[in-house]
Amino acid sequence: MKDAFLLVYRSIKERKARSTLTILGITVGIGAVIALISLGFGMQASITEQLIEMADVIMVTPGSAEFGSWGVVGSFTDRDLADVRRIGGVKDAVAMRGEMEDVEFRGEKLRIQVVGIDPRDIGAVFGTAIALQEDEGIAGRDLRENDRRACQIGYSIATDYFGEEIRVNDRLSINGSKFRVVGILAKQGGFRSEVDTSIYVTTRDSITMLDNKDISTIFVRVWDIGDAERIANEIEARIDENHKLDDFTSAMTMSGAIEQLGTIFGLLQVVLIALSSISLLVAAMGIMNTMLMAVMERTHEIGVMKAIGAKNRNILTLFLLEASVVSVIGGVCGCMLGVIAARAISFGIQTAFTVEIAAIVKPEVLLGGLAVAILVGILSGLYPARKAAKMSPVEAVRYG
Amino acid sequence: MIRTEHLTKIYRMGGAEVYALHDVNLEIQDGEFVAIVGPSGSGKSTLLNMIGCLDKPTSGSVFIDGVDTAWLSDNELAEIRREKIGFVFQQYNLVHTLNALENVALPLFFAGMKREMRMEMAKEKLESVGLGDRLYHKPSELSGGQQQRVAIARALANDPEIIIGDEPTGNVDTTTGNAIMDMLEGLNKEGRTVIVVTHNIEIAARAGIRKRMRDGRVRD
Ligand SMILES: Nc1ncnc2c1ncn2[C@@H]1O[C@H](COP(=O)(O)OP(=O)(O)O)[C@@H](O)[C@H]1O
Ligand SMILES: [Mg+2]
Repeated sequence: MKDAFLLVYRSIKERKARSTLTILGITVGIGAVIALISLGFGMQASITEQLIEMADVIMVTPGSAEFGSWGVVGSFTDRDLADVRRIGGVKDAVAMRGEMEDVEFRGEKLRIQVVGIDPRDIGAVFGTAIALQEDEGIAGRDLRENDRRACQIGYSIATDYFGEEIRVNDRLSINGSKFRVVGILAKQGGFRSEVDTSIYVTTRDSITMLDNKDISTIFVRVWDIGDAERIANEIEARIDENHKLDDFTSAMTMSGAIEQLGTIFGLLQVVLIALSSISLLVAAMGIMNTMLMAVMERTHEIGVMKAIGAKNRNILTLFLLEASVVSVIGGVCGCMLGVIAARAISFGIQTAFTVEIAAIVKPEVLLGGLAVAILVGILSGLYPARKAAKMSPVEAVRYG
Repeated sequence: MIRTEHLTKIYRMGGAEVYALHDVNLEIQDGEFVAIVGPSGSGKSTLLNMIGCLDKPTSGSVFIDGVDTAWLSDNELAEIRREKIGFVFQQYNLVHTLNALENVALPLFFAGMKREMRMEMAKEKLESVGLGDRLYHKPSELSGGQQQRVAIARALANDPEIIIGDEPTGNVDTTTGNAIMDMLEGLNKEGRTVIVVTHNIEIAARAGIRKRMRDGRVRD
């Protein structure tokens, strides 16, 4: 066996340039697969991490108000909210009254989501993560219970929506009523990007000034995450009963959302793997080409080996071994390239977009990459190797 | 003993049929030294390839020690080549990536012999052809005569009964050619059957038996 390797090594060394190119082909193919998969895992992990922060949350949203009509979205009542609060295990239940309203600022009019919420509940919904934007010394403040015609606005609304930037203490008109901006929220992005494009007012203003009595979302936090699924089911049953409708309420736990994301990422991985398989296919053709050339070039040598007693099997083994050696080297280099590339891309994304996507290199992915490289090598070496093995010794010897 | 019966080999070139061998019947006894002579294209190489089990006849048979080789599989033919036959070619046909020792050890590798034993035997064979001081030279670092001696050592590696040489002296000068003939004569004296194709009358004269070929037929 050792000598078989020696023979193979000599033959690879002899055709250095072509062997190198073949190895490079496999390296790039395997490297691409590993880098993409590792980044995929990283992306999944960072998104899941953000979601886990909200793992104790249940979002309750209404479906259509009438049976069979999909267009009109229904809403919840104060009684629904009270019922939800009464369910065992519920820590907080917060009503949000969101609706698209005409918002005017210095003569420009846009339709923007305006959410009515009790100021003391803001912390329950958003945790401590939400902060005020520093605005050239004027920090602004949070909404207060007794505020009248006051609002907090999201970062994008302040900076992007209107021709002029909105400052603390500026006035907006919502549905024709004047509101004062008391605070601007810090940029959220990611899962909270909705905050960036919303305006928050007190529940009382929402009802009295904007005539928006309907609850669009009930935001629930539970004491025990393990209970979330049961509580979600109970919420759905209670509210459906209040409205005498089936499947009216949808209570989504974050763990449910995490599971869903897992499925989406599974799909994404499949797409990524399919894409990088193309480069592997190219690499496979590279190996086959190299091996076919090797067989052609060494027709004479094969004939001589047969003349001195090599069996078909011996020749087959030698050529398959050569293909495997080339692909193992390519596979190992590919694993290294994959890890390096994944790290580099992760670093690049971090510096360019300030989004943290770690490169998560799983050992089973590396092993898988290596296995695929070997498989590709052997499969694409099989045809040339069989061709070599079947060669008639006399034809081969004549060739020289 | 080697015996051919109605041995015929036909090559088809386009529409035409070329009789490389035409109903050849001959017998070579164990331990004979046979020289085959004849003009180029008369079928000498084809005959040697048939006897050496490198090629299969179109019709007729080659018997080696009573076994009709026409019925053997590729594997069985490979075994006969490995165990009973040693080839020496005009162009030496050494594997140029391997050194002299490795070339001589190669048939033993295919025979599945252990490395140390193989190398030991290969070294012995190289010493017996006077190349004990050239073990680690690559073919490209050896003269034509030396390469042919490596090839002879390789043919002897498996200790075969039959040595087949297709113009083994064709590519070397007269002195070297004589030395190689001495070597083949020595092998014949050890009891091996030696069959050599040659153009050289003097060399042919040294053989015990001469066969003359013309147009694929053998005349004594
Ligand atoms: N592979 C082949 N294909 C076609 N014709 C061949 C082949 N091998 C040998 N021949 C023909 O068979 C005849 C005998 O060839 P060969 O045995 O090589 O002659 P010699 O060795 O006596 O010079 C020649 O006419 C040659 O052209
Ligand atoms: Mg010839």
